[in-house]
Amino acid sequence: MLRLSNVRKIFNAGRPNEWVALDGVNLVIEPGKITALTGPSGSGKTTLLTLMGCMARPTSGRIWLDGQEMTSLPERFLTQIRRESFGFIFQQCNLIKGLTTLDNVMLPAYPTGEPFKSLRQRALQLLDLFSLTPKANAKVEWLSGGEAQRTAIARSLINDPRVIIADEPTAHLDTHLSNEFMEIVQQLNREGRTIILASHDPLVHQAEWISAVVMMRDGRVEEAG
Amino acid sequence: MLLHPAVIALLLTSLLSSILLLYSAYYGYLVIQQWDLSSGSELQLSLERRTYLISTILTYLFVFQILSLFLYLFTADSLHTLFVGAMCAAGTLHVNGYGYPALLLKIFNVLAAGVWLIVNFVDNRAYDYPLVQKKYVLLLVISPFILAETVMLAQYFLHLEPNIITSCCGSLFSEGAQSISSNLVSLPARIMGPALYLSMAASIGSGLGFYRTGKGGYLFSLLAAGAFVVAIPAVISFVSPYIYELPGHHCPFCILQREYGYVGYPLYAGLLGGVVAGLGVGALMPFRKRESLALLIPSVQKRLTLVSMLGYLVFLAIVTYCLAASNLVQ
Repeated sequence: MLRLSNVRKIFNAGRPNEWVALDGVNLVIEPGKITALTGPSGSGKTTLLTLMGCMARPTSGRIWLDGQEMTSLPERFLTQIRRESFGFIFQQCNLIKGLTTLDNVMLPAYPTGEPFKSLRQRALQLLDLFSLTPKANAKVEWLSGGEAQRTAIARSLINDPRVIIADEPTAHLDTHLSNEFMEIVQQLNREGRTIILASHDPLVHQAEWISAVVMMRDGRVEEAG
Repeated sequence: MLLHPAVIALLLTSLLSSILLLYSAYYGYLVIQQWDLSSGSELQLSLERRTYLISTILTYLFVFQILSLFLYLFTADSLHTLFVGAMCAAGTLHVNGYGYPALLLKIFNVLAAGVWLIVNFVDNRAYDYPLVQKKYVLLLVISPFILAETVMLAQYFLHLEPNIITSCCGSLFSEGAQSISSNLVSLPARIMGPALYLSMAASIGSGLGFYRTGKGGYLFSLLAAGAFVVAIPAVISFVSPYIYELPGHHCPFCILQREYGYVGYPLYAGLLGGVVAGLGVGALMPFRKRESLALLIPSVQKRLTLVSMLGYLVFLAIVTYCLAASNLVQ
C-alpha cells in the first residue's frame, strides 16, 4: 500500500518562478488495484507519480510503501526500492536509441548483478509475452508505435515490480493501440500488481476496470474514490 | 612570511577548510537542534538532503586534514635551509612560538578527523541516520580545534622570518635542556624499548582477540591508544639513536629526511593508521546494538581492527628493521 501524508512539492522555491506543483496531498493507493490519476495539464499528476515512484523527493510530507517510510531514506536505499518495487512506463516510451529491443528490456536489471544468461532468458520471455520475439535484435528506432509501447512495458517488468507506474501511456497511441495497452494493463493487474496511471484520456480513466480515480486540480486532490 | 609554494598551499587550504567547516558546523548545529525523523516538515526534509552535502564536504575536508599533517612536516623540513641553525623540521618549527603548538593541534585533529570519518562512514550506510546527531556533536567538538589550528598555522607562517637564528634538533632534543622534548629524550631506553614492544603486543593481541570473538572492543581501543602514547616517546628516546647511529641524537624529524630514506613517513603513517582505526573501534562500540547498525558495525569493526593491527605491524617492522640494521651498539 502506498500512503501519502501532506505531501508538497515546490519547484524553484524562493525564486520569482516558484511553482507549487503539489500542495498538501493526502492519498492512499490500495495494493493490487488500478488507480487512475486524472485532471487537466499542470494539475500535478506527473509530479505525484515521480514522488510515489521515488524518482524525486517532496519538499515536505512523507510517503510510505507497505509501511516503509521512503522520503527520508538515503539515496542508496531509495535506488534499491525504486529498482525492486517500481516499473515505469513513460509517455514518450524513453527507449534508448541505438540499442536493440532486447538490450532496452534488459537494461534496468544490469545493476542487480544477475547472471547475463538468466537475465537474457527472462528478457526474451517478456518479449515473447508481448509478441516481440521477432523484433528482439531490431534497433528500437525501427519499431512501430505499438511495438515501442510494448517494449517499454516489457522493460518496466524486467525487475518484477510490485507497482507499475504509467504516465500518460496512451497519449501517443491510436484507439486500437490504446485498447491493446489497456488489455495488457488488466493482465498485469490480474497477476497481482498495483497499477497507477496518470491520464486525461477518457478511454483510460472512464474504463470500467479502473478501481479508483483520483481527480486532481492545481496540485490538490479534488476527489478520490 | 615566506612565499614558498607549500606554505601558500597549506595556508590557503587551511583557510578554505575552516570556511567550509564553519558552514558545515552551522548545519550541524541545526541538525542537533531541529532533527526529527518522524516529522515531514520542510525543514526536516531540507536537513535530510543537506546532510549529504555536508557529509561529502567534511569527508574531503578531513581526508585533506590527515594528509596535511605530512605536508606540514614535509614543508617544515624543506624550509630548514632558510634558517640559521636549523638542521631539520625541528629547527624550523622552533623559529617562533607557533610551530610546535600547530603541530600538536594537527596531530590531535588528525586523530579526531579519523574517528569522525569512521562514524560518518557507518552512519551513511544505515537507512535511518542513526548517528547523525552524534556525528554533528562530534563535529562541533572538533571544529574549535581545527579553527585554532588554522589560526596557529597562519601565525606560524606569517611570523616566519628568514633572518632568525633558531636551534638545531641536537639542542632541542638533548638531555640537558629544560623542556618537554628533553624530558622525552631522558626517558631510559632500556625501559622504553620493552615498553614499546609490550604495548604494541598488547594492542595487537587484544585486536586478534576482538577480531575472533567480537568481545573486548573497548579494551582493544584503549590498548591501541596506549600503544600510540608509548610509541611517540619511544621513537624519540629509544628508536631514533639506532636510525641515526648516534647515541645522543634523538630527533623525531630527521628521520623524515632523504639521508634516512624518508623512513619517518611510513613509520608515522603506520602509527597514525593504527591508532585512528583502534579509536574508531571504540567509538562504534556503544552503537553495536542499534537495529539498523547491528549487522553493519561488527563487520566495520573487524576491518578497522585489521587496519589497526596492520598499521602497528608496519610500524613494528620498520622499527625492528632499523634496530637490526643499525651499527649502533648501546
